[in-house]
Amino acid sequence: MAYSDKVVEHYENPRNVGTLDKNDPAVGTGLVGAPACGDVMRLQIKVDDGGVITDAKFKTFGCGSAIASSSLATEWLKGKTLGEAETIKNTQIVEELNLPPVKIHCSVLAEDAIKSAIADFRSKQAARRALGAEPVAADTAAAHAGK
Amino acid sequence: MTHDPFTVLGLEPRFDVDLAAAEVRHRELSRALHPDRYQGKPAAERRMALERAIEVNAAWRALRDPVTRAEALLAAGGVELDERAEPKASPALLMEMMELQEELAEVRGKRDAAGLRRLGEALRTRERELCARLAPAFAAARGDAARLRALLPAVGELRYLRRFFEAYAAAEEELAA
Repeated sequence: MAYSDKVVEHYENPRNVGTLDKNDPAVGTGLVGAPACGDVMRLQIKVDDGGVITDAKFKTFGCGSAIASSSLATEWLKGKTLGEAETIKNTQIVEELNLPPVKIHCSVLAEDAIKSAIADFRSKQAARRALGAEPVAADTAAAHAGK
Repeated sequence: MTHDPFTVLGLEPRFDVDLAAAEVRHRELSRALHPDRYQGKPAAERRMALERAIEVNAAWRALRDPVTRAEALLAAGGVELDERAEPKASPALLMEMMELQEELAEVRGKRDAAGLRRLGEALRTRERELCARLAPAFAAARGDAARLRALLPAVGELRYLRRFFEAYAAAEEELAA
């Protein structure tokens, strides 16, 4: 099957390949897979206090279209607010990369990865806020952890 | 393919199909359908033999790979293989697959042939164990679509393993060069 020029371009020069510290509270990590083909994709975002995505990295093990989809997604994510990032649709990726019907699932995977990275970031923030609102004494926390 | 690969090769449809017997069937049928045997026969007959031979080859290929073998059993039981409808993998499995792929990339980068072999053997063992669990599960499902559908996550896991083996084969080739 022939890949479009844009897919080949992203495949040969993937943008933003790499890893962000998943334990950093400002980092959201999305890890998704396509059971139909066995592709795995990790997409991470770093968000500043104003809710703007300042950095995005990905690592994808899969076909050229999956790599290109996640590479493109990280490019698009940088500089966007979380709200804007949420509006990215797989169809936009399909259009930009000229993905054929059999490769649409790769763009779906990238959209899922974005959503799951945002969800991870938000749940981390919520957990931190909850802790901040109700400070737990160290010994109580230890007692809970030991349960 | 019009027929499922088990029917094409005249074998009982089961996940733990006897691959040696399947290979023998494939060889016998391929020989019987060889174009040389159809020289001088009417064109329609020659074409039919050729189509059958192609079907026989495809069936053998499908049975050899545990993923396509499982898919054939699912399809025969009326389970539609729609990529959107497949159950999502557990986060733990995805994490593990990501780590295994990263480990593979690392030994590949270091050209560590022994490490590569170890990783490959570990994953082959894992695939064998998964297949050993799937065989009785397929048998117990008795072609029932609902029970077959319950096996989709395990079949998904086989596909993640297959992706790994593809990358593994490429790494092996690179290190041998």
